[in-house]
Amino acid sequence: MSIWSRSESLLRNLFRRNKVERHLDDELQAYVALMMDEKMARGVSEEEARREALVELGGVTQVKQAVRESWVGSNLESVGQDIRFGWRMLKRSPSFTLASVISLGLGIGATTASFSAVYSLLIRPLAYPDAQRLVWISNLWPKIHMDTVLSPDFVEARSQSRSFEQLSAYTVGDDNLTDAGEPVRVSCVWVTANFLPMLGAVPQLGRLFTESEDKPGGPPFVLISDRLWRHQFNANPAIINTSITLDGGKQTVIGILPPHFRFPDLQLEPDVYGPQRVDLDASISISKRLTNLNVIGLLNAGVGAPEALAEMRTFYASRKASYAPGFQNLMQGQQTRVDGLQGHLTGEDRKPLLILMGAVALVLLIACANVANLQLARAGMRRREISVRGALGASRTRLIRQFLAESLLLAMIAASLGFAIAWGVTAVIQRTQLPEAASINVYTQGVPLLRLPFGKLSLAIGVDGWVLAFTLGLALLTTFLFGLLPAWRGTRPNLARFLTGPAQRVTSGREQKVLRRILLVAEVALGVALLACAGQLTRSFLHVLQADPGFDAANALTGVTLLSGPKYQAGETKNSFAEQLVSRLEGLPGTRSAAISSILPLDPYDARSAFMMEGAPKPPMGMRPSVPVISVTPGYFRAAGTPLLEGRTFNSEDSSNMGVVAVVNRAFAARYLHEEAIGKRFDLNSWEGDPRPVTVVGVAVDTRHGGTEQAPEPEVYFPMAQFPQAAMRIIVRGDGAVALSSQAMRNAVTATDKEQPLFDVQTMEARAQASLGQRRLTTLLLLLFSILAVLLAAVGVYGVFSYTVAQRAHEIAIRLALGSARARVLRLVVAEAVWLVAAGGVIGLAGAFFLSKLLRNMLVGVSTHDAVSLCVAWLVMTAVGTLLQVSSRTWWRS
Amino acid sequence: MGQAESPQTNLLQGTLDLLVLKSLSTGELHGLGVSRRIEQITGETFQVKPGSLFPALHRMEESGSLKSFWGESENNRRAKFYRLTKAGERRLGVEAEEWGKIVAAMTSALSSI
Repeated sequence: MSIWSRSESLLRNLFRRNKVERHLDDELQAYVALMMDEKMARGVSEEEARREALVELGGVTQVKQAVRESWVGSNLESVGQDIRFGWRMLKRSPSFTLASVISLGLGIGATTASFSAVYSLLIRPLAYPDAQRLVWISNLWPKIHMDTVLSPDFVEARSQSRSFEQLSAYTVGDDNLTDAGEPVRVSCVWVTANFLPMLGAVPQLGRLFTESEDKPGGPPFVLISDRLWRHQFNANPAIINTSITLDGGKQTVIGILPPHFRFPDLQLEPDVYGPQRVDLDASISISKRLTNLNVIGLLNAGVGAPEALAEMRTFYASRKASYAPGFQNLMQGQQTRVDGLQGHLTGEDRKPLLILMGAVALVLLIACANVANLQLARAGMRRREISVRGALGASRTRLIRQFLAESLLLAMIAASLGFAIAWGVTAVIQRTQLPEAASINVYTQGVPLLRLPFGKLSLAIGVDGWVLAFTLGLALLTTFLFGLLPAWRGTRPNLARFLTGPAQRVTSGREQKVLRRILLVAEVALGVALLACAGQLTRSFLHVLQADPGFDAANALTGVTLLSGPKYQAGETKNSFAEQLVSRLEGLPGTRSAAISSILPLDPYDARSAFMMEGAPKPPMGMRPSVPVISVTPGYFRAAGTPLLEGRTFNSEDSSNMGVVAVVNRAFAARYLHEEAIGKRFDLNSWEGDPRPVTVVGVAVDTRHGGTEQAPEPEVYFPMAQFPQAAMRIIVRGDGAVALSSQAMRNAVTATDKEQPLFDVQTMEARAQASLGQRRLTTLLLLLFSILAVLLAAVGVYGVFSYTVAQRAHEIAIRLALGSARARVLRLVVAEAVWLVAAGGVIGLAGAFFLSKLLRNMLVGVSTHDAVSLCVAWLVMTAVGTLLQVSSRTWWRS
Repeated sequence: MGQAESPQTNLLQGTLDLLVLKSLSTGELHGLGVSRRIEQITGETFQVKPGSLFPALHRMEESGSLKSFWGESENNRRAKFYRLTKAGERRLGVEAEEWGKIVAAMTSALSSI
């Protein structure tokens, strides 16, 4: 019964409010009238009776309010009231609201964006069972730039180790897939039989291969990825137990991996999984063919990574004794590592991310402090209103609740803005990739896979449910952080003071003043420091852009094809393919020159060779200097736009019958050849056979390989005729008049051999742009971040200034009334803030010195004490600060 | 300047409801009438201020113990009258009994040695 009547009342109170209010009013009026009647009946005059009755009533508004609060739904309703009221208040002072929303929105947005990055990259566990037990084992050999485990060591470790429940390994490569529609290049991995089960991969069709099938000489079984199955084979289930042709050899497909399986390597999402077939002989010698394995281990339950590391170290120490002497030299400086797999995948990104998170949290705190300041200023100006409301019967709790509602509203608006910002930033991170990344023809060893700043994991950085929850939580937290203090202070019980008039000189507490000053100085300092660093990075970036790359990126089209399979085993077959292809390419319309090289400019090196200068003392095998080598067709230097400083390029006479010739780059000539380079000879070494004498015939300009920022290393170019390669990287230079067509290039390749796939076709310019991607993103982010800091500092200055003015409003008014010139009064009030901004600027410059030391690695061609950036930063900050004060409306309104 | 919360008023809130119910047990009354009746039946001990009375009346009406209607007073003034509902009568009986028990217990406790 009671519930029914309550609900009835609730609905009535909510929806028939006017009627209910009128009735209440009538009821109380009637009460007064009846009371008057009583008194008048006793002989009191009407006026007196009315006065007495009203006194006895105790105040109509109070009584009404008490009744309202007793109504069902009053709580709900008053919350609604609070929110509506808050909204009106916010609209009433747009500059405050805007400043607060921007400040908070930026803080929340930055925090949310970096949180989602940190969450995806650091916290979200890998999707493998027992992911916390998976570790990456590597063995760094600094002398030969290797970072893998040798197969005999792997075999031995597997049988001996006690810390690991499982040890598995893989190698990567790619093959041509033919006989299935258009030929494509696919990325393959060869894995031990326990690799896929260890990662919890259950095939959606078919089966995995077994331990016994994973032996040298075992059956040619492979598994393919879901993507390859759908893209190339139309998801036809009949593919199981049929064969496909990889590199000319037939492999039988025995299973298809599930669609959600992710390979535990940032650079790779392979499409073919074959057996590794590790040679079970654990001995090591120079003559034996060794495989470099990437090893992932599963720790035994209860065993930690440090324990496993200690065991591996002991293991390697004992292995060293059984190595051949030549090997021992190579092992100098060797380091073993056992890292958690998640940590390994995120690599060096971890620390900057944590620093970023810390910095952003700081920014958020500053934003909240800013808004608190602004709200305090506003509360100061609304003192009279608050006092009156208190006098009318509002309880302190109610007043505080109202302020909090307003703050909550503000926080929610800011959170929406912040969420939008975070979403935008995340979208930018996700989109900085080349459009071909999604296509299947792109993956090769030399080219970074999904060219996103954090690799494959960037796709994981998204704005998902957790992030949303985080944002909302932040909004609530900030509400309390910045809303509570003003609410509490603004509704202090001794309000009577403020009702009585202007005679009060209100000064805020001592500590508060100091705190505010510190805050302002800190904000300005932060803004200056960040801006200066951003300036330095930007100048670095421009410097890198302008540096001579050693090749001409304009009007050049590139593509890659890789010869493999039994057809191209012999060197002559590779050469004849190359010759035919080059002549076809040169015949294309609009082509000025064409060439093939083992690697293109900006590619990382794929081959190195040890060598000795003629006549120099012969150091032992493991100690000789090594140099990257590149095989090119004769037209390469012209096609790449790499001019020759001396001598000649290769020609048709430099064939395999004649002595080996080479073209070196300037760095090589400077370091090893000193004066006359042409005609100098040196000996090229290989693992088998005698050293081969090489004659230098030309010197080329330094070209950047391995990225735009790497300093040029000494390099040696060989004619492809003398050093045939399987990797054919094509570069075609056009004359600028007619656009080069990728289809024409593709046709030229197919005409030479219809089973060869062409992939990774892009202009040289696009490749140059891509290699700058990481730096560009970092610079952009830092620039954005500093703008954020400057904006926040600006809001901070505005807020503090407004507060000061609000506090001293009476004082200012009196001064003006007494005849003080407006300018003089302005100077007085502004002086404090100007001083603070200047102080902040100085500290900021000091901070910038310190910060730029941290950035030292990233600065190219710009010193850490870059005066230009620092000065610009300071000027900007001071200008902003001053401008804000002068144009502050609060000032003019007072 | 909120409502002063004295301990007295708090104690009265539970008993105030009971007094209101009792005062309406003999017939319907308007707000002032209830106030005067309570004064009368408690021998002037309790004088209920409108700030406490009206919230109580409205609260009890919403919970279903009372029902209100507009009528005319003695001097032909339009006023809001209250009367007990069936539920209100039951509640009066229950709470009066409770109160009796409390009084007996307290008396016994205070007069023991």
